[in-house]
Amino acid sequence: MIANLLTSEFLKIRRKGFWLLTFLGPFGVVALQMVNYGVRKDYLLQQSNDDWGYYLGNVHSFTPLALVLGIAILTSFMASIENETNAWKQLIALPVSKMNVYLSKFTVLACLMLFSSVLLMVFTFAFGLVLDLGSAVPYMDIVQYSFFPFLASLPILALQLWVSTVSQNQGIPITVGILGFILTYSAFFLPDWVIWKWPSLMNDANEPVQNVLLGVGVGCLLYVVGMIDFTRRDVK
Amino acid sequence: MLGLFQSEWFKLRKSKVLPILLSGPLVGFFVGFALRYEANELQGQEWYLTILYMNLTYALLFLPLITGVLAGVICRYEHQSGGWKQLLALPVSRGKVFVIKYMLVLLLVLLIQLLYLGSILAVGAINGISEPFPTEVVWKSILGGWVATFPLVALQLWMSILFKSFAAPFAVNVILTLPSILVINSERFGPYYPWAQPFSMMYIGGNEGDVFFIPWEQLLTVVGGSFVLFFLGGFLYFQRKAV
Amino acid sequence: MEYIVETRNVSKKFGKETAVINLEMKIAKGEIYGFLGPNGAGKTTTIRMLLGLMKPTSGTIQLFNQNLEQNRIEILKKVGSLVENPSYYPHLTAYENLEALRKVLGVAKNRIDEVLEIVRLQDVANKKVKGFSLGMKQRLGIAGSLLHNPELLILDEPTNGLDPSGIIEIRELIKTLPSQYGMTVLISSHLLSEIDQIATTVGIVTKGQLIFQDSIETLRKYANQNVSFTVSESKKAWQLLISSGLQAELQQNRVLIQDCSDGIVAEAVRLLVQAGQAVYRVEDEKKSLEEIFLQMTKEENAG
Repeated sequence: MIANLLTSEFLKIRRKGFWLLTFLGPFGVVALQMVNYGVRKDYLLQQSNDDWGYYLGNVHSFTPLALVLGIAILTSFMASIENETNAWKQLIALPVSKMNVYLSKFTVLACLMLFSSVLLMVFTFAFGLVLDLGSAVPYMDIVQYSFFPFLASLPILALQLWVSTVSQNQGIPITVGILGFILTYSAFFLPDWVIWKWPSLMNDANEPVQNVLLGVGVGCLLYVVGMIDFTRRDVK
Repeated sequence: MLGLFQSEWFKLRKSKVLPILLSGPLVGFFVGFALRYEANELQGQEWYLTILYMNLTYALLFLPLITGVLAGVICRYEHQSGGWKQLLALPVSRGKVFVIKYMLVLLLVLLIQLLYLGSILAVGAINGISEPFPTEVVWKSILGGWVATFPLVALQLWMSILFKSFAAPFAVNVILTLPSILVINSERFGPYYPWAQPFSMMYIGGNEGDVFFIPWEQLLTVVGGSFVLFFLGGFLYFQRKAV
Repeated sequence: MEYIVETRNVSKKFGKETAVINLEMKIAKGEIYGFLGPNGAGKTTTIRMLLGLMKPTSGTIQLFNQNLEQNRIEILKKVGSLVENPSYYPHLTAYENLEALRKVLGVAKNRIDEVLEIVRLQDVANKKVKGFSLGMKQRLGIAGSLLHNPELLILDEPTNGLDPSGIIEIRELIKTLPSQYGMTVLISSHLLSEIDQIATTVGIVTKGQLIFQDSIETLRKYANQNVSFTVSESKKAWQLLISSGLQAELQQNRVLIQDCSDGIVAEAVRLLVQAGQAVYRVEDEKKSLEEIFLQMTKEENAG
């Protein structure tokens, strides 16, 4: 049943710009570095002996920001598909459990974000090659910098989906998204337990995997909380 | 015209805009307290540094993004259940509707700026800053930031009228705002990027001789020019929009 | 009697407001149940509860002799519905809208063409719903509700926004469903005339309470008509009819008689003409829904 719901959800997001946004996120992050390196490549290459590492760091400085805002946009978009003509009542009156409806929305979003991460990896690698940063390509680092932020941001995805689906006024989840974004931008100053710090992969122990594990764990937790709340609400 | 404004204000009051306005001072508090210790390290410049840091995050990212949300809120209830056709079937010109909506968003942005000013004062009081408050500089910065959003609000209003969903105009806003982080570092491009102007015009470290910390020419050409462009674009689009 | 829908003591409160009070609804198999009531009486709230969109504050709902709360999904597999304004995804075509539903329902793909044909939308199947008229959207909604050949079809004001020919079309369609496909239909409306033409059973709800639930024939008795006579001297005519043993009523310049069988009306006309009255008009006077409501609520208070 969940497979049917998923294909139905993927059908519904057609022509809405979901895929475009999924592409624009990672593209924008790398494009900013294209501009950055395009304008002052020589200066940037002087900053470090590890050109690949420095480049990945530059890319990664924008990844969490794009991720947090991207999540806010896509979740709100997702909710507005049903909100626009109040199709929730039609969807929930189908013989499907509300849990599965919520799960399918979450899964579609997670798939889109995962796809973004794949694109981010490809674009990062490709532009790195264009820049000719040396033959010692840090493949593992590229993979980590592409997928870890996404996994660490799962709690944010769960939270934003919850707020979007229960808000009539989509200004609320977007504002929550902006506040989260400000927190992520200020990640450096935040204590380790704040979920908006996690996509930056920073922590006191300097161990990115910690953020990934926390992200997946707390993400599941927040997901379940949101889902239970969603199933208990009356459909207007 | 006044009746139209009152009607808009009434519709707005009923639509949960207060939590959105309060997010402004919330960001102020957050940045203000996160930087508490660093500000205390430098005697004699406490206000200056506190405001400088607070403005950095607030003006660079928060302010441009929230203008889009406010413009979206103004249009949300028109997109829902055919509000546009009802509104435009009233004996009012479309031009007036656009101008009123635009002024209303500006008013909201001004409110958020004032609330943010309140958060500056509160942060100072709680952190026990004893130096005299640099009133003139701060007012310049608050009003300057407001003026800098004029073109941004115009574009966001345009986008919010164009798109039915809330997220789409916001996506446009994000795409245009994020590059500011890089742009402000560039002396060559920084002055020309409209989305970086709220930061420049609230940057109290700028040239104090200028009215809003940026040269008059820049204010007129970049802020003024982009304002004319976006405002006319939205205005003309709205005239022709099929409802 | 096998009941497809049976509610026991169902109430729904929104905060302090009570939308539905102690509802005891019973719908037997094969019926077309007309659910009648003025706007805001609690019809849509009831329907939302029947579909599990809202939970009743108290009471239980049984569909197909199963408890709705425990067997919601099993039950909904056999239920098609259209609630209030049609729900649709404007950026998708009519076909794609149905496809999005079909995937979830898991029925054969050719059903889409079948239901599109039933509601006669096959020509616009590949157009975006954004540009549809209200009537077309409504028909698309009905098509969606028929997709999985439901045993129970719940339609909330399905003829809203349709033009007269569309209304007739939908009406004819609904009438054939019980006989052709063995469906049971629940259809709500605020118009008595609408329900009168298709329903076999009627439930009337007002202010959240079900004040009538019986066959359409019984309702018609409530709604029985008066025949009004407009004559040259109404007072004299009234006295004449009374003295002849007819139950007549004088109302302004008209005389009303309640028993309107053909024989009685003919008798009354004959008497009046013989007495030298000029008979200008003899008219049927139907009671409006509001009058029936008033009458029913009055009787309830009296009883």
